[in-house]
Amino acid sequence: MTTTAIPPEARRAPAAAPKRRPKREREGAAWVFLSPWVLGAIVLTLLPMAVSLYLSFTDYDLFNPPKWVGLRNYVQMFTEDPRYWRSVVTTLTYVVIAVPLQLALALVVALALKGMKRGKGFYRSAFYAPSLLGASMSIALVWRAVFNDGGTVDNLLGTGGWVNKPGWALLAVALLTVWQFGAPMVIFLAGLQQIPAELYEAAAVDGAGKWRQFLSVTVPMLSPVLFFNLVLQTIQAFQVFTPAFAVSAGKGGPADSTLVYTMYLYDRGFVASHMGYASAMAWVLLLVIGIVTAVLFRTSRSWVFYASEGDR
Amino acid sequence: MPGHRTKGFCASAAALALCAVLAGCGGSGESAGGGKVVLRYTWWGNPDRAERTEQAVALFEKQHPNVDVSTSFSGYDAYKQKLATQAAGGDAPDVMQLDYRQIDQYASGGVLLDLAKQKSVLRTSEIDRGLLATGRVDDVQYAIPQGRGTETVAYDVQAWKKSGVPLPGKSWTWSRWADTMRALAKKTGKPGATDPGQSEDAFEVWLRGRGKALYTKDGRLGFTARDLTRWWTFTDTLRREGAVSPAEQTTQLDGSVENTPLGRGTSVTDANWDAPASGFVALVPTGVALAPMPSGEDGTPGQYFKPSMFVGVSANTGHPKEAAQLVDFMINDREAAKILGASRGIPVNETIRAEIGPRLKDFDKTIADYQASLEGKLKDPPQAPPSGDNALQSTFQRDYDQVSYARMSPREAAENYVTEAKAELRS
Repeated sequence: MTTTAIPPEARRAPAAAPKRRPKREREGAAWVFLSPWVLGAIVLTLLPMAVSLYLSFTDYDLFNPPKWVGLRNYVQMFTEDPRYWRSVVTTLTYVVIAVPLQLALALVVALALKGMKRGKGFYRSAFYAPSLLGASMSIALVWRAVFNDGGTVDNLLGTGGWVNKPGWALLAVALLTVWQFGAPMVIFLAGLQQIPAELYEAAAVDGAGKWRQFLSVTVPMLSPVLFFNLVLQTIQAFQVFTPAFAVSAGKGGPADSTLVYTMYLYDRGFVASHMGYASAMAWVLLLVIGIVTAVLFRTSRSWVFYASEGDR
Repeated sequence: MPGHRTKGFCASAAALALCAVLAGCGGSGESAGGGKVVLRYTWWGNPDRAERTEQAVALFEKQHPNVDVSTSFSGYDAYKQKLATQAAGGDAPDVMQLDYRQIDQYASGGVLLDLAKQKSVLRTSEIDRGLLATGRVDDVQYAIPQGRGTETVAYDVQAWKKSGVPLPGKSWTWSRWADTMRALAKKTGKPGATDPGQSEDAFEVWLRGRGKALYTKDGRLGFTARDLTRWWTFTDTLRREGAVSPAEQTTQLDGSVENTPLGRGTSVTDANWDAPASGFVALVPTGVALAPMPSGEDGTPGQYFKPSMFVGVSANTGHPKEAAQLVDFMINDREAAKILGASRGIPVNETIRAEIGPRLKDFDKTIADYQASLEGKLKDPPQAPPSGDNALQSTFQRDYDQVSYARMSPREAAENYVTEAKAELRS
């Protein structure tokens, strides 16, 4: 289309106030635009969730129709299943190791990148790359090989294969997650660049050294971003599956040391064919993640600083 | 005109979203490659079995030009998980290999086709009736055993001979076996055997040697925590002495011969099923031989001939006739039998067994001779295990991990297992 083809009324349009359409019609249009997402959300998320909630009150082995058992799955989980509690402890340990390590590494690298004059783009991409690769099964398998008997780590450090030592296997899994610090790093980097330079200048004039500037300017100004990353990574860490699955060759071993919550859930559902029990586990996990997130939000009031509130 | 384009766009976007949803609902077995019938055929096993199966399948395709067979295989543990997921989703392969443990669950879950319906193309007249009956559930023939297997102690002949320890004879008791493993470890500097504590199969042999069984006739647990404590104390002691493999190696077992200590060259023997033991030939080039499993202290044999590696057809297959033809070919075809040898055990078709048997060579002959040496000495096999056993097999291995990593005493772990097993069998 060339400009000459524009009909005269279109050219006039900006001048005249646009005719408002009735509200209902506008809403209809919104629904039409939303429909792909809404359909997806209903069919792929809400319906399966509803089914899973129903299944959590049944005994369902995938092959035969589900049998209603009331709260039995939940009772069994909390009172009769020592392996369930082991998986809870393992998951908490994992969250406590992986999340702080990953955030610390992401922050350190972001700080280093921020001060760079040249090659920033290259290094940013390079550090982000593991996050793109990391979710893949192949990397997790390579990870297993690296930390196995006779693998790279064994050869360099002479520690033996970490993946076969109960005390070390979870660390190998956590390191795989930590290594994928690209996403929080990019967010930190964006946050750092938002901090006004004059704050640092003012701090320098007041005689603050680098460390003091970091503690008194960077950390408070960055706290909303830090909080965002913390919440996001914690939620993800609770749901860790692929690294634990691949590094332990699908068994959660050795001696259940990498049997994280979702691994045990998978084991109950797909290995032992107790889909009802697995569904109940999934709902408990959802609740726990919800509670942990709520707690994080509550505590955030005491340490997260929003610049817009500073004036009040 | 902008308005029209938007509406058109919306409609097509909505249609696209719908298509994506519907695409997920296509049934299985409707796939056709260039007008050909496509059958999916899966099994577990070692690379040797895979190679021979592929050859046999190629021959089948030659004889049936309208059929295209797409095959896949993996180790037993991975196979078990994948098949369960596929079957649950109604997407089981057209032709699948099944274990004795899976038949009950899969048949009662409606995954398997009644093979009697394909009688015209699938002959079973030359299979021993008793053996054939092991593939029945509620009097319906859901699967056909492809062979007969028994457990064995496979050993590295050269390493054993070099050690100067006398070679195993026609039978030995568990205590003789333990002494021999200790002697081997001392002489060769590496463990004599894979730690048998992790294996439910080995435990069953030990249990049967004491006149007990894994399961009672009505599908309950046939042993007590005390029995299991005794077994795990026995193996735990051997592990501490270095006579059997350390925890770091035992935990890596996944049902493939490659990940056994013998396969990695870190032990002298491995207890395994006889047909998969052929996989050791490639891994231990200096030669592998087979000895019987240890028996009870009074000589009661614990091992038995187990109908092994059943083959079944999916109830959802789009091509029941072609699938049955493939099963028939794998079991009854003379040329196929020549290619397959004893890679799934000694052939079940009696005519073929009589004809092929004497001509078996290499490791196939080793297996045939080994089975012949046990003929008439073993007790009847137990009935098919209850469906919960499928999951318990891995639970057993896991609970023993706690023992071999010294995180639990044999008694604690045994009590845990019995609790878990009772819950599993109840549900």
